[in-house]
Amino acid sequence: MAEIYFTKDHEWIKVEDNIGVVGITAYASEQLGDIVFVELPEEGITAEIGKDIAVVESVKAASEVYSPVSGTIIKSNEDLNSTPEIVNEDPVGKGWFYEIEISNNDELSGLMSEEEYQKHIGD
Amino acid sequence: MTEEGSWKQLFCHGDHMSEAYWGLEQNLKTTPLYKVHNDNRAKLVPFAGYYLPIQYENGIIAEHNHTRNSVSIFDVSHMGQIKISGPMIYDAMEKILPISFSKIAPGQIKYTQFLNNEGKIIDDLMICRTFEEDHVWLVVNADCTPKDLDHLYNNLNKTYKIELIEDRALIALQGPNSSNILKTFFQEIDDMPFMTADWFNYNNEKFFISRCGYTGEDGFEISIKDRYAEKFINELLQCEGVKLAGLGARNSLRMEAGLCLYGNDISSSVSPIEAGLKWSIPKERIENGGFIGHEPIKKDLENGVERKLVGIKPLGKLPAREGTQIFDKNEKTIGEITSGGYSPSLQTPIAMGYINSDILKSECEVLLNVRGNLIPAEITSLPFVEHKYFRGNK
Repeated sequence: MAEIYFTKDHEWIKVEDNIGVVGITAYASEQLGDIVFVELPEEGITAEIGKDIAVVESVKAASEVYSPVSGTIIKSNEDLNSTPEIVNEDPVGKGWFYEIEISNNDELSGLMSEEEYQKHIGD
Repeated sequence: MTEEGSWKQLFCHGDHMSEAYWGLEQNLKTTPLYKVHNDNRAKLVPFAGYYLPIQYENGIIAEHNHTRNSVSIFDVSHMGQIKISGPMIYDAMEKILPISFSKIAPGQIKYTQFLNNEGKIIDDLMICRTFEEDHVWLVVNADCTPKDLDHLYNNLNKTYKIELIEDRALIALQGPNSSNILKTFFQEIDDMPFMTADWFNYNNEKFFISRCGYTGEDGFEISIKDRYAEKFINELLQCEGVKLAGLGARNSLRMEAGLCLYGNDISSSVSPIEAGLKWSIPKERIENGGFIGHEPIKKDLENGVERKLVGIKPLGKLPAREGTQIFDKNEKTIGEITSGGYSPSLQTPIAMGYINSDILKSECEVLLNVRGNLIPAEITSLPFVEHKYFRGNK
């Protein structure tokens, strides 16, 4: 059973064993507006917790995405190259960004639960 | 996730923030259409000291496309409306602006710039020679209004009255259907050519209507008393096909139309010749002078300028924003992007920026340094999307 965690910077990560799938939250995609391009990380590169790993370009602006955990990128969502708008349509589903092999599961304890995140954006 | 670039403030000022909070905290002004924006679920952001809609529910792309295909309303009440009156007003204004009133008919509007002594742009503006001979009517950029007023006070003697019109909203109605909509209120506007203006009456209110805009489409800018603005907008919104559009769409529309944005593409370090605005200065003014900034402008024309504003099309899908460095094929910096983003009409990224003039003679392919990625791009002429102004029934 996959578990979902959130960052204060509006990324989510669904974790099963030591594999995570990362994307941006519905709140973030709504705030950004129409997304027209996503710069995804290359497979095989190393991600560091809290460091920029991807960029989302909306009509309004470019926004950096920070990796919620450290690890190795296994796969990027290639569908976003041709249809970046699926991040707006289904941010926590089909609009995922990348899959990561998590190097240290302890890092997850620093992330927020869904309930904590909802509180965070509701402030 | 955090945002870069000039729209930095947009992300953190989401609509979950209480409206009053930002209004009070940042001393932001609201326009007379504040309630309309809220009623229509605008995403309001701080812009030029005002609380303005960046977009409404449908989003920037939908609002942009609706403007190109039908008709949209933009609240541009933040812009400065200035009335200047006094004796021999045209002579006085010609000493400040590079325009020729002898070539401007009553009721005509001209696009022009306030220039400093170095021939650089203090602000760009629209000036109307109204049918009354004792005054002119200006519309200037919101951010520049205070320095424009200073400039006017410093260069007009005390016999001239300079009034900042603070009790009138300004609404832009833009798009191919704008005339069909507006003529249901004012029958006469149908024949008004682009860049003309006049006063109209409706329900005992006086409307100052200009056929102009900043989207590249046919359209109007409507100046009405604050107290009447909300009622009139709601009447317009009752008309078939009329929708609201925000600052986001206004920006992508003007970029496609290749129109300069003050603070981005033009500023007090740019001359109108560099910015490709030579067309706005009549020949006889360049020859005869007599306006602030004439000497350096004349020199710019005689000697040529070192950089020029061009259109840039990044190849591929990655948008290149303002501040992006432009490289030649040897990765030497040859310019910088001043406006850049996504074109909903062309469905590709577009940009405007300055490039060294000598490069322009030979190369039309360049590289853009977007976060370390070198993106090939083409230099093109402006506009990206053809203007569709109404030039009159000839």
